[in-house]
Amino acid sequence: MSAMRGRWIPVVATAGAAVLLLSACAKEEESPGAGAAPSAGAGQVVQSGAPDGPTCSLDQMGYTKIDLKTAKVGFSQSEKEANPFRIAETQSIKDEAAKQGITQLTLTNANSQFTKQISDVEQMIDSGVQLLVVAPLNSDGWDSVFAKAKAKKVPIITIDRKINATPCTDYLTFIGSDFEEQGKRAADKMAEALGNKGSVAILLGSPGNNVTTLRTKGFKDQIAKIAPDVKIVFEQTGQFSREEGQKVSEQMLQANPDIAGIYAENDEMALGAVTALKGAGKSAGDVKIVSIDGTRGAVQGIVDGWLHSVIESNPRFGPLAFETATKFFNGEPVAQDIIISDREYTEANAKTDVANAY
Amino acid sequence: MTQDVTVPPIAPPPESALRDERRADRLDRIVGTVQRQGALAVLVLVAAIGFAAFPNFRSLANAETILISAAPLALIALGMTFVIITGGIDLSVGSLYVLGGVVAAYASQWGVLAAFLAPLLLCGAFGVVNGVLVAYTRMAPFIVTLAALLGARGLMRALSNEGSETYLVRSEAFRAFGSGEFLGLAYPVWLALALFAGGAVLLGRTRFGASVYAIGGSEDAARLMGVAVRRTQVNVYVLSGLLAGLAGAVNAARLGSGVTVIGVGVELDAIAAVVIGGTLLTGGAGTVAGTIAGVLLLGVIQNLINQVGSVNISWQQVISGAFLAVVVVVQTYLTRLRRIQ
Repeated sequence: MSAMRGRWIPVVATAGAAVLLLSACAKEEESPGAGAAPSAGAGQVVQSGAPDGPTCSLDQMGYTKIDLKTAKVGFSQSEKEANPFRIAETQSIKDEAAKQGITQLTLTNANSQFTKQISDVEQMIDSGVQLLVVAPLNSDGWDSVFAKAKAKKVPIITIDRKINATPCTDYLTFIGSDFEEQGKRAADKMAEALGNKGSVAILLGSPGNNVTTLRTKGFKDQIAKIAPDVKIVFEQTGQFSREEGQKVSEQMLQANPDIAGIYAENDEMALGAVTALKGAGKSAGDVKIVSIDGTRGAVQGIVDGWLHSVIESNPRFGPLAFETATKFFNGEPVAQDIIISDREYTEANAKTDVANAY
Repeated sequence: MTQDVTVPPIAPPPESALRDERRADRLDRIVGTVQRQGALAVLVLVAAIGFAAFPNFRSLANAETILISAAPLALIALGMTFVIITGGIDLSVGSLYVLGGVVAAYASQWGVLAAFLAPLLLCGAFGVVNGVLVAYTRMAPFIVTLAALLGARGLMRALSNEGSETYLVRSEAFRAFGSGEFLGLAYPVWLALALFAGGAVLLGRTRFGASVYAIGGSEDAARLMGVAVRRTQVNVYVLSGLLAGLAGAVNAARLGSGVTVIGVGVELDAIAAVVIGGTLLTGGAGTVAGTIAGVLLLGVIQNLINQVGSVNISWQQVISGAFLAVVVVVQTYLTRLRRIQ
């Protein structure tokens, strides 16, 4: 008889596992962590794209009008909310959806796995979402998603990174910064900080997306133009992450102990570089660091003297994304490329504006 | 192994007792099947819960999405099943998967045939190196395939300008393979099904399959029995490399480009799927059917977590991890129970 009882234990255990899974699933996501300042900071301001560039309307795409308030909306985040940029971005979408009275918002997070992002988005289309906001991990590889979205007439708004496809056909519009301009502005700051000479290292973002490509191109072009005596002696990817940024910086410092400046393509890598510099016995200001994003940690770094300046990349996409969607569903034309204007943080304003950073 | 010498005469049992015995037999058989196919049982259970709890999970489109998303991992896990049954491990498959995709997208400019052949040749070559090193130098498979993991990813980076260049698929036929359907199922799903059927025959009904099991049971004993141990070992790593390359090609066809940022950690997903499917990590036992159940289970769990809508990604990982642990514990328990019986 004991053998008989033993046989049922696995069944009970399996059922138990399922219950565990379900109860864990039923928990709603908590506020995504400390450091997020929901809607406290400055919202995004459109810089260009309104009437002059090409536009897209409901008729052009052949989609049908819906009321956004009662619509099912899906948001696909690319990377996990460990980086303040991602925290602020997701929070902004959630806050704005709540403000607009959208109750059916589905959130997914690809955790930096591109194939997961593809199946996340496809699953949301299957489940009947009527608007998709996507923060793409990679700029290519969206064929299957677009085919599915077109078949079901679901408009896709891509934010922060661009997808290499045709707006108003494959996707509706792109909302984001002018990344090349960010790179140029970072180059201006670097040239100024170094007095137009010295050796510079670049911590590249993760490969395969337009942010890295354009932030690199903008920086290099501008350096070559305005400060030809600034030499770029090192460039390697830090994958937009703090740990990688630190690791790569440590290796870079071994090979180039007399480096004068570091251009980090996001704040997380810049903060990793600061840790590496501390480890190498450097003091604040020895190496001029210029980075892009405008996270609170980095702006605080300017106050502390470790960072020279930060070019902002505003992650608060919620208001602009839903405003664009509302206009589109009302039949008004929207721009195919909506470029936001970004501020900058330097020694002059870091102390007063650190509260605005995310 | 004792034999009864004297058999006492048995009175014919009454009719009712016979019926009871038959019922007990049937129950035994059902319980036995559940034990052998633990992953399948859990899969059915989880899917049933999903069916009951989430209306969106019930749709046909959703089932198709689960299948098509699972197809590349299924191919990789099929090769991994053979490797693990021999008692080995192949860590290079994640890198070969991304390398295969990049090469397939690049080669698609010369047509659909090239898009399939190029990744198969290249990843098969990696498999040959893995297999030869494991079989002839007797180095640990873990180290050999770890080296291949690094090498293949490095090669992928070199071919794609540090991963920043994404080659687009140029062949319409290749693209159509990734997006087309036949009888309601996508081509990659049919391909995976066909290869699994072939894999089941290969493992269960051929001399090669018998050798794979024998090596995993005991390499020395297999050698003494006259099994071509080295050749079999080379073959399983080649098979694993080929399937990883094919998975990359399938994925490239579906995405329409050779995406360079994928494949990290895929080897662990494949190993997890194989082990959940009842294959012993120590080798010697396992089935291809179990692996399918393992792959689908991973896909269904992910799908269900998404159905809930807004579980924080860190918690999603905790849930997946806990679930895997539970499944493996149940699996182990079932196996032990069967042995005791």
